[in-house]
Amino acid sequence: MATTLKDEIAIVGIGKTPQGTIEGSTALGLGIEAFKNAVDDAGLDKNQIDGILTHPGTTSPEGATHYLRFAQAVGLNPRYTHSLVMGGGSGGALIQSAAMAIEHGLADYVACIFGDSARTGGTKFGGSMAGGNALSQGIWGMFGPHANSAMGLRRHMALYGTTSEQLGHLAMNIRNNANLNPDAVMYDREITVEDHQNSRWIVEPLHLLDCCLISDGGVCIIVTSAERAKDLKQKPVYLSGMGQGYQAVSFENDDWWYLEHQKSALADAFAMAEATTDDIDVAQLYDNFTISVLFWLEHAGFVGKGEAGPFVGEDRTALGGELPVNTAGGNLSESYMEGWLHIYEGAVQMRGDGGPRQVEGANLCLTTGRGLNLNCSNALIMRNDG
Amino acid sequence: MADYTKTLPTLDERTDEESLAFWAAAHDHKLVMQRCTACSHIRWPIGPVCTQCLATEFEWQEMSGKGELHTWVNFYQGFHPEWAKESPYNVALVKLEEGPIFLSNVVADDDDLAVGIALELIFDDVTDDVSIPKFKLAD
Repeated sequence: MATTLKDEIAIVGIGKTPQGTIEGSTALGLGIEAFKNAVDDAGLDKNQIDGILTHPGTTSPEGATHYLRFAQAVGLNPRYTHSLVMGGGSGGALIQSAAMAIEHGLADYVACIFGDSARTGGTKFGGSMAGGNALSQGIWGMFGPHANSAMGLRRHMALYGTTSEQLGHLAMNIRNNANLNPDAVMYDREITVEDHQNSRWIVEPLHLLDCCLISDGGVCIIVTSAERAKDLKQKPVYLSGMGQGYQAVSFENDDWWYLEHQKSALADAFAMAEATTDDIDVAQLYDNFTISVLFWLEHAGFVGKGEAGPFVGEDRTALGGELPVNTAGGNLSESYMEGWLHIYEGAVQMRGDGGPRQVEGANLCLTTGRGLNLNCSNALIMRNDG
Repeated sequence: MADYTKTLPTLDERTDEESLAFWAAAHDHKLVMQRCTACSHIRWPIGPVCTQCLATEFEWQEMSGKGELHTWVNFYQGFHPEWAKESPYNVALVKLEEGPIFLSNVVADDDDLAVGIALELIFDDVTDDVSIPKFKLAD
């Protein structure tokens, strides 16, 4: 008999730092600040934390041994710990690792942590993406993360008639959400579809306003069992569904650009949650570029294959629309925390703490992450305390 | 040709044998890929075993040079100082008739590009030692 993790684990603490340009910050310091805030939010003593899972920032010198440096810095000898490098897929994957560890008794209170000084630390996201030196894609001028998404967008446009103006509506609606979030880097900076269309090309067909920010900041999410969660300070946010999917094969697969691995991550999460897209009230969908949101909408089944362009173009993802997306501003307009703030905002919405951006009566939130060279995908379905 | 300042393949004593063979063929104006001698699958990029049957034995097969434009992008942002001088320039994915998708450039006006159009292989002799496989619109 298979067991299920449905509603067995809860998010009980969330913490973040100021976001954006934080002079003098370090990846480690930002992670520690977020950790302190999350521990306080949960009403725990830091010594109760017995699991430390970290996502090393692009400016973390420790790489995959970052977990040791972090635990040493905060004076803990954890029962369960590791780091994971999956770019924007790291946060969701670490929370799922934490859930499994807690369910099986390897840890009681797990802190999942990210900190990065990508902005002031000068992280270059423009390196050549694949191949050794002898077959670097740079030989053909291929650099940075934008182009792979732009390649997929061009095909989506050619096959399904998706337009840049539709993406402009999405970017505008996500910015409108950021304008209800004083913590967002782009707070109080309204944009229109026309602004989107007039913004310069980065890698055509992606305009500047299709692209995420580069930010300093930290985020920490603390999870424990649903049973322990009942006795803590905050309303528990239950993890109802989880799923992961990975795509390593690219140029031997004609459909690589359509990112089918996202579909399996989502299907697993919906199956565990025993939910359908009709049950989802709000979504935090990983938006390194606008086009990414379209893939999530199609793979989850909110719309059919190729149909996400009109869905976002008709403002149906706006706050007040049928599926509010990225209610805090997302990677595009809140801060580029590689998806960690999507998890944070999912928990805010499920607690009902969104203030002017709260989706009234929201019971289920879908949160997704994806990282590296479009490779690593995952989904979480969060449920409120009812 | 000696003044070519953009990215070149690193070809020296540390370079793996297969990559050296790929570029030696390119120098002869041939685009070659590994074909598994056990199951005939053509793999790309270069790898140590067949991605289908895991056999190690392979032979080099010359591609016909015919393909279609799978998708393409135009770089405006200057990620690399030398490439930036040519912005905007295209990077394309070409679906070869043998199966694999090959990342390259299409030497053509952007107005003439569309997903699905027929392309054919050409070589850009950028130095005395290096010829880079690229594509043009099929005749």
